[in-house]
Amino acid sequence: MPTPTKGPRLGGGPAHERMLLANLATQLFAHRRITTTEAKAKRVRPLAERMITFAKRGDLAARRRVLTVVRDKGVVHELFTVIAPVMAERQGGYTRITKIGNRKGDNAPMAVIELVLEPLTAKQATVREAEAATRRTAPAEDAPVQAVADDDAADEAVIDEAVTDEDKA
Amino acid sequence: MAVPKRKMSRSNTRSRRSQWKADATTLSTRVEAGQLTYFRPHRARVVTDSAGTPLYLEYKGRKVKDL
Repeated sequence: MPTPTKGPRLGGGPAHERMLLANLATQLFAHRRITTTEAKAKRVRPLAERMITFAKRGDLAARRRVLTVVRDKGVVHELFTVIAPVMAERQGGYTRITKIGNRKGDNAPMAVIELVLEPLTAKQATVREAEAATRRTAPAEDAPVQAVADDDAADEAVIDEAVTDEDKA
Repeated sequence: MAVPKRKMSRSNTRSRRSQWKADATTLSTRVEAGQLTYFRPHRARVVTDSAGTPLYLEYKGRKVKDL
């Protein structure tokens, strides 16, 4: 769950902020990439990613939950049918924020927030596969390791006896 | 509304302002075509054509925004 934001609301009040963020999220899903201030980009990111999580679930309840934020049915349809399948392999991190410097008029730091629509790279896929493999084998490995340790101890005992025998002789 | 009781002396004003300082921008370095160049870290870079016209913003080899 995203950390609750501290400090004042964006816009004029809580309702204003809600609508502002909802509009930004809607535009993000409609255009895939929007330019806004850094502060707004950072605040819209958790909301947008939650919407994509709902879209990946894809059932009617999830669609109704998304419709409470993104009011445009056309955009919601696109989110569920186009964006969600692209994000299917991705486990979070659906958006990317890039800082692009300050705005001319008021020197506000600006950023581009975009949906990460590229497929996972081969490297990322192999890393995930390897991690899954270690997780599968880890419980099975515990028992054999214990048995091997016992064998080693027994071997050492035998060698010790042999050495003492030689000494006596 | 709170109002100052006394005029602020020229000396006090100038003493205060003497503490205003501009700090240097943090820069990163990169070797570009055999030459050391400086750039702002974590900030998209403007890519220009040979005539110096800005084309688009680029960050880590990724096109970020058209200009």
